Amino acid sequence: STNFEKHFQENVDECTLEQLRDILVNKSGKTVLANRFRALFNLKTVAEEFATKPEEAKKAIEYIAESFVNDKSELLKHEVAYVLGQTKNLDAAPTLRHVMLDQNQEPMVRHEAAEALGALGDKDSLDDLNKAAKEDPHVAVRETCELAINRINWTHGGAKDKENLQQSLYSSIDPAPPLPLEKDATIPELQALLNDPKQPLFQRYRAMFRLRDIGTDEAILALATGFSAESSLFKHEIAYVFGQIGSPAAVPSLIEVLGRKEEAPMVRHEAAEALGAIASPEVVDVLKSYLNDEVDVVRESCIVALDMYDYENSNELEYAPTAN
Amino acid sequence: SDEEHTFETADAGSSATYPMQCSALRKNGFVVIKSRPCKIVDMSTSKTGKHGHAKVHLVAIDIFTGKKLEDLSPSTHNMEVPVVKRNEYQLLDIDDGFLSLMNMDGDTKDDVKAPEGELGDSLQTAFDEGKDLMVTIISAMGEEAAISFKEAARTD
Repeated sequence: STNFEKHFQENVDECTLEQLRDILVNKSGKTVLANRFRALFNLKTVAEEFATKPEEAKKAIEYIAESFVNDKSELLKHEVAYVLGQTKNLDAAPTLRHVMLDQNQEPMVRHEAAEALGALGDKDSLDDLNKAAKEDPHVAVRETCELAINRINWTHGGAKDKENLQQSLYSSIDPAPPLPLEKDATIPELQALLNDPKQPLFQRYRAMFRLRDIGTDEAILALATGFSAESSLFKHEIAYVFGQIGSPAAVPSLIEVLGRKEEAPMVRHEAAEALGAIASPEVVDVLKSYLNDEVDVVRESCIVALDMYDYENSNELEYAPTAN
Repeated sequence: SDEEHTFETADAGSSATYPMQCSALRKNGFVVIKSRPCKIVDMSTSKTGKHGHAKVHLVAIDIFTGKKLEDLSPSTHNMEVPVVKRNEYQLLDIDDGFLSLMNMDGDTKDDVKAPEGELGDSLQTAFDEGKDLMVTIISAMGEEAAISFKEAARTD
């Protein structure tokens, strides 16, 4: 790149909240999708600082939520809901409740709004979550509501304070905590619980996150057996934790899942993004081969995943927006 | 598994390095960068993206050559940490570019090079003046070097 271009490289430390918003909502009409995602995650870091910078954090929440109104990208809107849930900022809850119940929003967006309310641990959302758990026409939304209700009850019901959990390597707030260490469950036991359709989904998720925290190749193989489950929601979460673990050992199963013609878009989307996060050399050609996929969220996920691959393999410290 | 294996060797105390999660490293601690044992002089962590992991930027100084080295690594990855030992020896002689040393047990050691530069000059001067000197030898990853010296405490 020329010096001229370099001069106009936007750096997150130099971007104002309004500039980040304009990139996120594609005000210019020329912003590439990957950069909109980068702007979103930088707004998130401001939205999290509600304790020290309440005014700016509030503004960041508002700007992030603007995308819900008219955006055409289901993938972006779902990511917006996810990010709001990760901020720990309860100012995001009313918007998320509205989005969860709004049948004009796509199922993936409603699902992510429900998950976000669980991540916020928002007790005031329990009524709406119970309503959506019964009435939403889409099973992934109903299942997510069930998880969110369980997570909120776990958080506020005293169980959280009694359990001894392994400290997570990741900064994410997950739909369920890992099984506590005092259970002392072996990998085969965790795999059995993971795949037991008679167990509540919340318990199966707890086994999933325990396996993630173990993180060995053996644990990865156990997790991969979950891709045979019936629930799309469950399978998409397996793909997500593979993106967190970041191990090339998860790549073959993710490639297989991404290639499933009949698989739910949310599962294939999460597999694509996990491949981008693992960022080993073999994922590039795979992701490129789905850049013309007929499913919007899969195609767009490959764009975002290839950008994530670039970031992971670059000398850039921050996942910050750039000028192109 | 691999993990258990590396822990065993680290516990045995014979290994030159042991693994540590990148996010657990600290400024002024040690780390291996480009196969060199280094001391961390600066460390910054990025903000996290969707999957909740950060990148860590390390600036470190090679403990033997003083050369600056940098590394950028996912916070969740393991890095190697060198086992760094410091030992004090009494200086018996400086001979043909090597130090002749003796430990508290009376064992001698003649394979550490005399330091170069300012440290080497002042050590030589002090030795020539007939001072009783204690030299600190640092060792890591099969390499050793004298890093400082002081006059031995008088016992009389």
